[in-house]
Amino acid sequence: MHIPDGYLSPVTCVIGYAIMIPFWATAVKRVKAALNTKLIPLMVIGAAFSFVLMMFNVPIPGGTTAHAVGSGVLAVILGPWAACICTSIALAIQALLFGDGGITTFGFNCFNMAMVIPFVTIWIYNAFAGKSEVTSPKRWIWAAIGSYIGINVAAACNGTELGLQPVFWHTAAGVPLYAPYPITVSLPAMLIAHLLMAGPVEAIVAGLVTRYFQVTNPSIIAEQLASRVAPVKAAFNKMWYVVIALIVLVPLGLLAPGGAFGEGAASDLKSALGFVPAGFAALSGHWHALLDDYGVPNTPYAGTAPNLLGQSIGYYVAAVVGIAIIAGVTFLITRLIAAREAREEAKKSAT
Amino acid sequence: MVDFQIPEWLLQSQGPLLPPTGTKKARRSFAEKSIGAFSGFIMDDFYAERTAVKNGLMQGLHPGIKVATSLLLIVVAVSMHNWVSLLLINLYVLLLAYMSKVPLGSFLKRVWVFIPIFTLIIVLPTLFNVVRPGDPLLVLLQYGNHQLTITRQGVQGAVVFTLRVAACVSIVVLLTLTTRWAYLLRGFSIVRVPTLFINILEMTYRYIYVLLKSASDMFESRLSRTVGRTNTKEQQKFVGNSMGALWTIAFALSDEVHAAMLSRGYDGTPRTLTNPRIRALDWVWTVLIILISIILIGGDRLVW
Repeated sequence: MHIPDGYLSPVTCVIGYAIMIPFWATAVKRVKAALNTKLIPLMVIGAAFSFVLMMFNVPIPGGTTAHAVGSGVLAVILGPWAACICTSIALAIQALLFGDGGITTFGFNCFNMAMVIPFVTIWIYNAFAGKSEVTSPKRWIWAAIGSYIGINVAAACNGTELGLQPVFWHTAAGVPLYAPYPITVSLPAMLIAHLLMAGPVEAIVAGLVTRYFQVTNPSIIAEQLASRVAPVKAAFNKMWYVVIALIVLVPLGLLAPGGAFGEGAASDLKSALGFVPAGFAALSGHWHALLDDYGVPNTPYAGTAPNLLGQSIGYYVAAVVGIAIIAGVTFLITRLIAAREAREEAKKSAT
Repeated sequence: MVDFQIPEWLLQSQGPLLPPTGTKKARRSFAEKSIGAFSGFIMDDFYAERTAVKNGLMQGLHPGIKVATSLLLIVVAVSMHNWVSLLLINLYVLLLAYMSKVPLGSFLKRVWVFIPIFTLIIVLPTLFNVVRPGDPLLVLLQYGNHQLTITRQGVQGAVVFTLRVAACVSIVVLLTLTTRWAYLLRGFSIVRVPTLFINILEMTYRYIYVLLKSASDMFESRLSRTVGRTNTKEQQKFVGNSMGALWTIAFALSDEVHAAMLSRGYDGTPRTLTNPRIRALDWVWTVLIILISIILIGGDRLVW
């Protein structure tokens, strides 16, 4: 479920963050209103719990084990907004400390695991078991079903995000630049894996943990601790407008330029902007030729050859010199830092 | 007098009790795996802490500058489309790792084992013309008009994709191996991550240890009491119960932490110690990384 860096194009990553930032802000506002000074300790412990939860090996038939995300059951305990914060924090630590899930893809990883799973779970759980007795079996059954559906919706989102990459970002020859499989492959692949494997694990964890609290400490699931407040309705609604607007605008925006981002030729720019920036026009001669070459390297260089070749060689020379300088400066900085540390060390031992 | 005889088997000397050895590796139980995962985290973290205090290049930089330049390099790597530029950035990060006194063997292992190798495996099918048609590079099988070939486009795509993923992973690994966790997090404030989140991250990191210890103890005590075989259902129930028990412990802990914070005058606004100063060398470094980024992106888009 964790998407590493490099699987999603830069534009997709920006969209992921654009969706999550208002969402995180709303989550903090809501949870803070409920908890005030207790916000930090509870979120801290919740995040640490979420992190450790993801490291548990859950036994599955056949003698092997699997990991659960656990954000569904966290939503049952803490409410979905707090679960969103805690899971996001746990994912951030995973990304930074283990390189598990990327930095650029962090927005979408949180969207899938910290937003979709808890909210889908809690909607289903509240709709079908919300009004039942705290100890009613309905509660743990719907927590399990909700988590199962939640992780599968998240997997579908994940498969779609990956599957859209080759549609929008490929070379002129059609070689995908990011995640290589189209949605017809990535979506079923993600769904099958989650319907059969990860989904049941998630459901088992959610069901058993909810059951455990029903038996030992029913007050925990009676309250959804962090959500005991009047909803911050205005902020909530405004945020959904933003999300919906993004969802509508994104495909339009992506489809409009007709080419991959950052690779537009002057003519594309002209149709998009209505004019060609002067600097771009000046560059556009070899820029365009090179882009053609880059897409279809088999094309003979034909008439443009001498000019192109000359410029390429010039660039190569510049690049080699540049690299030499970079390496040199890197060494120099290293030496300077070492010297500085040694000086400070000496100063420290002198005193 | 009773004829007292010690049975034969009791007189035989017995070697130390070792786990069964043989060609077939015994499969570890879920409890052992979990304990392994918990201690693996602590081991990895200690390793990172050890390399982070060495006297190398990256360790000497201001954490905020380091975070910002690493993020820039990641964005550059993600934006690049050509294998030459991607190879160069990979090599540059290796050079930086070397200059930062990170042992290269373990660095490469940390970077490549798992994510890039996993990536390579999933792109493998796209090499073949049956999955994605393209110009043949190497004909593997020929049967009448039908060919199984490795395509040029397939190789190009797979190499670009894998190198890009590897570059990103290595930049992150280098950043975490050369920066102490507390400084690393504070470094993120330079890219406007709210102090609240940084505070939560800092504290979470500390309490992960506490909860890991509790969880590990639960599994250890369970393991030491398990003699016979248990079935999957029992095991699952144990895992579910220990998660629940862990939350009960954690929740009580959060109350204590809260009380402790209040008693020290906490009023809901996060406060941190001041960051280390940004020095001239850090600016030189920033300019260097920006130059490298321009060269790499320029080369990527214009030449290679």
